[in-house]
Amino acid sequence: MTHWTDLQPRSFLEASARDRAIGLVDEGSFTELAGPFDRVTSPHLALLGDAVAFDDGIVTGVGKIGRTPVFVISQEGRFIGGSVGEIGGAKMVTAIKLAIDFHDDLVAQFDDLDEEEKPLVVISFETGGVRLHEANAGLLAHAEVMDQLQKARGKVPVIALIGSKVGAFGGMGFVAAATDVIIMSEFGRLGLTGPEVIEQEMGKEEFDASDRALVYRTTGGRHKFIMGDANFLVENTVAAFRDQVSALAGLSIEAFEEMRRIGSSAKVKAQLRAVALAAEMQPGDATDVWTRAGNTDAHALIDLPLPEFLATVRRLAV
Amino acid sequence: MALHTLTLDLAPAAPKTRIQARLHVGVTGSSDLEIMMHPEDLSGRVAVTVVTPVTGFDALWTRVLQKFLDDSGLCDARIEINDNNATPAVVLLRLQQALAAA
Repeated sequence: MTHWTDLQPRSFLEASARDRAIGLVDEGSFTELAGPFDRVTSPHLALLGDAVAFDDGIVTGVGKIGRTPVFVISQEGRFIGGSVGEIGGAKMVTAIKLAIDFHDDLVAQFDDLDEEEKPLVVISFETGGVRLHEANAGLLAHAEVMDQLQKARGKVPVIALIGSKVGAFGGMGFVAAATDVIIMSEFGRLGLTGPEVIEQEMGKEEFDASDRALVYRTTGGRHKFIMGDANFLVENTVAAFRDQVSALAGLSIEAFEEMRRIGSSAKVKAQLRAVALAAEMQPGDATDVWTRAGNTDAHALIDLPLPEFLATVRRLAV
Repeated sequence: MALHTLTLDLAPAAPKTRIQARLHVGVTGSSDLEIMMHPEDLSGRVAVTVVTPVTGFDALWTRVLQKFLDDSGLCDARIEINDNNATPAVVLLRLQQALAAA
């Protein structure tokens, strides 16, 4: 077991899902729910003769940051690419549901609660979406998570963290987009159709998935931050993600609603303006859009150290 | 095509090491495995369950686990393993890692 203080400076990208979960909340405060010792493994994988995991590749639990109860969901990319099946999906759903029920109980019992004392949900994404082995059960799990996000809305803020190797793609890309806030590192990647799938469907001329620089400047944290798809861009450490969550804890639910990228007619209009801009510009590369956002030397942004990037970057306004 | 489950009842050559609390290490990644260990009074023996998609290597699993027990002297424990095509060297390494984490 790695010590909490040793976890803080560790690369978020390289940390395991469990280490991320433990490190995100206060020292010693994490209690895992439906953890490996409960041995809830996927019945589908066993039937297919595929390897199983005691936690089905998702860590769920509860801890606190300061005075804020934090329900944590953390996906493990090394187990079947972090794919979400029936068990893992049920764990996500239950964690969000517990947070909502806990919120409702608290509010019913105490009428003088600070925002800081109300629960948050934090989801660390590392997944390509549905576990294809589990087909409909996996898809249904996605729908149920979406359902819980809608139930949490306006009550319990849901914060997405994307700084893992696999990123957040496929159905879970939609789920990430439907959260209240997205925090990314520059190594995090967010999208719907993953690079390999785009190349397979549209050809290497359209998108060369082996071109890592292209992949990162199209799906990576810097691009998503400029485009407004990510609210915050942080350093690649467990502590940096934790500090950003900590800074958000205690904000009003209205402030969280304001940070959403989708989910109101005003936000839909902004998204449509971005689509119209893309149609008008026909950008050949992400840096074309960065230039349009007002970055005179867009190419320099690619390799600029993060603090300088954050100090100088101009984000797209539509 | 169901998963292969291997159940072993082993004992170290010289029992000397006992774990105090249950532990879990590793991820069932590709070519990797996860291990759970629990202290349990088994009169010095060690009960092992391996769940793996791989068949035909039961004798090799037994040798690797026996070597781990002989090297470490681990006794009175239950070991549960979820494997996904790990090589014997990786299996031995993870077992040693688990014990080091105890």
